[in-house]
Amino acid sequence: MPTTEVHSLSEPWLRQQARTVRGRLLTAVLWGLAGGLLIILQARLLAVLCQRVVIDGQGRTAVQSLLAWVALVILLRGIASYLGEHAAVRAAAEVRQQVRSLLYRKLLLLKPAGLAGEVGPLTEVVTAGVEGLEAYLARFLPQMVLAGLLPLAVLVVVLPNEWRSGLVLLFSAPFIPLLMVLIGKGSEALNRRQWERLSRMAGHLLDLVQGLPDLKIFGRAKHEAELVAVVSEQYRQGTMAVLRVAFLSAFTLEFFATVGTAVVAVLIGFRLLAGNLSLVDGLFVLLLAPEFYLPLRNLGLAYHSRMNGLAAAERIIPLLERPLPATTLAGRVLPSGSAPEVRCESVTFRYGGQRGGVQDISLTIPSGGLTALVGASGSGKSTLARLLLGLAHPERGSITVDGTDLAAMDQAAWRSQLAWVAQQPFFMAASIRANLLLGADAADETAIRDALEQAALWPVIARLPDGLDTVLGDRGAGLSGGELRRLALGRVLLRNARLVVLDEPTAGLDAENERLVLEMLKRLAVGRTVLVISHREAAIARCSRVLELANGRLERMVTPQQYLGVSS
Amino acid sequence: MRELVRILQPAAGQRGWMLAGVGLGVAVIAANTALMAVSGWFVASMAVAGVTQVSFNYFFPSAAIRLLAILRTVGRYGERLVTHEAAFRILADLRSWLFRRLIPLAPAGIERYASNDLAGRLRADVDSLENLYLRIIAPLGTGLVSMLLAGLFVACFSTKAALVVLLVLLAAGLVLPLATQRLAQQPGRQSVKLAGALRNRVGQGLQGAEELLLLGATDQQAAEVERLSRELVVQQVNLGRLAGATGAGVVTLAGFALVLLALLVIPEVRQQQVSGPQLVMLLLFTAAAFEGVGPLAHALQLVPATAQAVGRIRELADAPPALPEPETREKPQGYRIELRGVSCTYADGPAMLGPFSLTLAEGERVAVVGASGSGKSTLVELLLRFRSYRGSIAIGGVELAALAPDDLSRLVAALPQQPHLFNTTIRHNILLGRELAEQELERILDDCQLSRWIASLPQGLDTPVGESGSAISGGEGRRIALARTLVADTPVVLLDEPTEGLDGETEQLVVQRLTRRLTGKRSVLVVTHRPAVLALAQRVVRIEQAS
Repeated sequence: MPTTEVHSLSEPWLRQQARTVRGRLLTAVLWGLAGGLLIILQARLLAVLCQRVVIDGQGRTAVQSLLAWVALVILLRGIASYLGEHAAVRAAAEVRQQVRSLLYRKLLLLKPAGLAGEVGPLTEVVTAGVEGLEAYLARFLPQMVLAGLLPLAVLVVVLPNEWRSGLVLLFSAPFIPLLMVLIGKGSEALNRRQWERLSRMAGHLLDLVQGLPDLKIFGRAKHEAELVAVVSEQYRQGTMAVLRVAFLSAFTLEFFATVGTAVVAVLIGFRLLAGNLSLVDGLFVLLLAPEFYLPLRNLGLAYHSRMNGLAAAERIIPLLERPLPATTLAGRVLPSGSAPEVRCESVTFRYGGQRGGVQDISLTIPSGGLTALVGASGSGKSTLARLLLGLAHPERGSITVDGTDLAAMDQAAWRSQLAWVAQQPFFMAASIRANLLLGADAADETAIRDALEQAALWPVIARLPDGLDTVLGDRGAGLSGGELRRLALGRVLLRNARLVVLDEPTAGLDAENERLVLEMLKRLAVGRTVLVISHREAAIARCSRVLELANGRLERMVTPQQYLGVSS
Repeated sequence: MRELVRILQPAAGQRGWMLAGVGLGVAVIAANTALMAVSGWFVASMAVAGVTQVSFNYFFPSAAIRLLAILRTVGRYGERLVTHEAAFRILADLRSWLFRRLIPLAPAGIERYASNDLAGRLRADVDSLENLYLRIIAPLGTGLVSMLLAGLFVACFSTKAALVVLLVLLAAGLVLPLATQRLAQQPGRQSVKLAGALRNRVGQGLQGAEELLLLGATDQQAAEVERLSRELVVQQVNLGRLAGATGAGVVTLAGFALVLLALLVIPEVRQQQVSGPQLVMLLLFTAAAFEGVGPLAHALQLVPATAQAVGRIRELADAPPALPEPETREKPQGYRIELRGVSCTYADGPAMLGPFSLTLAEGERVAVVGASGSGKSTLVELLLRFRSYRGSIAIGGVELAALAPDDLSRLVAALPQQPHLFNTTIRHNILLGRELAEQELERILDDCQLSRWIASLPQGLDTPVGESGSAISGGEGRRIALARTLVADTPVVLLDEPTEGLDGETEQLVVQRLTRRLTGKRSVLVVTHRPAVLALAQRVVRIEQAS
């Protein structure tokens, strides 16, 4: 499985991210260290206090200055704690922002090339997944360094005072990381599976809720509600299985820490009884024993954070490292102006060789005018359109635009000369205006109104209380299917495109609106090359030629009269 | 806080687990503070005994130290398991409760939420309910009980000291966190809101990535996500700063409690009201008691964000359904459908339909045509009881509002305008878990012109259709949804553009087969703008633009 390979990459990758915020993390560690040293000082002061009161029988006035020192040390500890925490949080915040930006930009390019995956889990990675990095950077990394330094500092002061107790601490300490690693290994694998389950569950719920109306129609909603319970139950069992093991490492740690402290207490007690040790030294060691284990215990708690961070990184890294589809950035730029002629020569593209795709297609879409692309469902029309749009690249053969190979062209420049209306156009939950201006920022009010009138949509929008500023719901909710289609066409008009590909532009329109849109297409075809994928006779009849596909091959290239004559 | 407890009502069955978690938590804190107290007392007593050469029975305290050490570790492990178990059980209960609440609301009650926002509410917000018990209610319960017990323990030796310790514990555990919580309210609310907006924006952009790329709007979308993310991160840093301040405050207060305790108890040692070893014991006990306070501060800090999540869930779950389930169900007689003067409007928007009247006799097949936006699809949604309406719609003599949804789905099946394809196999998408003889399924597939295509797939009926049917074409998806409708085998069938996305040849075949299958006792209402589909109907009704 590639996952184990990726996993071994996660840690170095996370460290690399940490290096970009090295200064802040170092600050966090230094304040943590200062806090630890202050604790040692506080312990000594308290031990001296007890010695003076309990053994030497001193009163309050005699120890007042000592108590003032304790108060000062405590105040400084508070300050160190705040500053350390703050530096760590800032460091993690910076990394999250960087990684999220990088990841999202990458996904926006990977998705159109069909390389990324399903939207639900990907959204999860960009949002909650990136949040998961904080645990590693802000919790685990500083704790890891402190766990190496602070116990050492405690040992250095304990050993000269009470070497026997020092040895107890010294020998119990190595077991802790050892056992933690052993247990950690097991729970890492479980944790990884857990993450997958979590994002599957997110997708499952979204899917069910989106389909809730369909489930209701057939009276199946209550049945699926039971499935929600089943999936939640599986999630609980899976998570508890992870936790039972994950908590074992915390248990081990606490066991050693608590028993170690208890052994030191008993040991010191008997040394004191024998009169071999003063109360001040004995108490100092007893007070420090828990502090010796504390950084290790904190690390144990942070170990869970490490696994969360690793699990998150593991989802992020493969996406970041996935190669982008080959795009030519500095390629040739076609002079703008005239409508291009597009020519396919022996173009073959199959989706991983499985189904669909096109084979050995050679055809010419003449400069200017309307060309229809027809064929049964699954005959390869959409694939051919994706190839022309540069969203996919031919496995064999070539596509040329005015004689220039598409593969050698500057992709961004080529895209700026394209317009496309998908079968289900993209609308975001934003105003109608914002949706129209996607990709055409410069358009002014007159241009917008002109485009909407051509799309026979102006009367509809003028009737809305907020007009152009009406906010659409998700996927354009608020306008009818036909109106959305026309809105997408309006958006095309605002772009100064030379090649326009329309996928079923008149689907969902009544006869009257269909006529309006088709007339608009006629005007659109002046000075532009327009390819219309359609089944509709009315649309085909207006084209100047018809390309018919069947089973991924070009069946024939005919006039609309020939095509319609035979077909009807 | 009351809202936070109220949301747990659907999970009331887990009360035992919840109480057990708190009980174990208190036991662990008690064991830990007792361990430190006994250790301190033991060490000091041994020292005194060493100096004064007075004998001291060390057997009991040294055994107690070992016992408490083990109690504490095992108890802690148990506490963690039990509180998590409780939290996940609560979560599972709440998740299915919420889904059940959504059933009567869909689609009219939830269409104003973006689907990613909805998924966010269903997952992230419901998951943050995991915090509700685990990180809020359990630590609060544990912390408060432990504080009182700690005060009682110190009171056995010095009332004044007990009062001071209890007051500082309350200051560190309640007053300080509540004060920072007030400050955290604003960033907490903001961050939940921003996280929702971010999730939404990210999801929408990924869904439309192809078009964004072709529109050259990829950068614009990415910049928008970056802006939201930066705003979110700023709020999160603010929250982190407050958390850091609270943590530092607890450290400082715990230290001051020690100083105050020393100041109060040292004179009592001089007056022999408290022994020297007892002073050491009280000092170590108090230091340990403050360890139990940390989670309390953290718990209170989470309250605003969790309250916000609860509010969002409440808003979703408490929305009134478009048509509530009738209190008494009336049994329909037959399945004649009568619409009289029916109209429908969006909440405060334009009219969607009507007024419109139509009678569909049993066994009659009617096509409804009309301009796009005239309310053809709304008509189908009304008959499915998805929206509220004015006028009268009766099926089998029973007004739709008085008809139980279960009775309706036995009478009426529909192919909606935008059927949803679930991210599973073709088979499950067609059957939706219903039972059907294999032969009948094959006949339906054949009528929908799906057999040849399915036979050509290596996995056949078990081929996954992808997210919202992304792995298959629109026409194939439409026919799968049509097959799903025919499986229901109801006396009334509503079809909204049954042949959308099909080529002319397939369309004609599908209409032919549908006509053969549905002719007879079945009533059919088909909404369409395609001439070929009209062959399915005996008469055609035109719907006028809503005024």
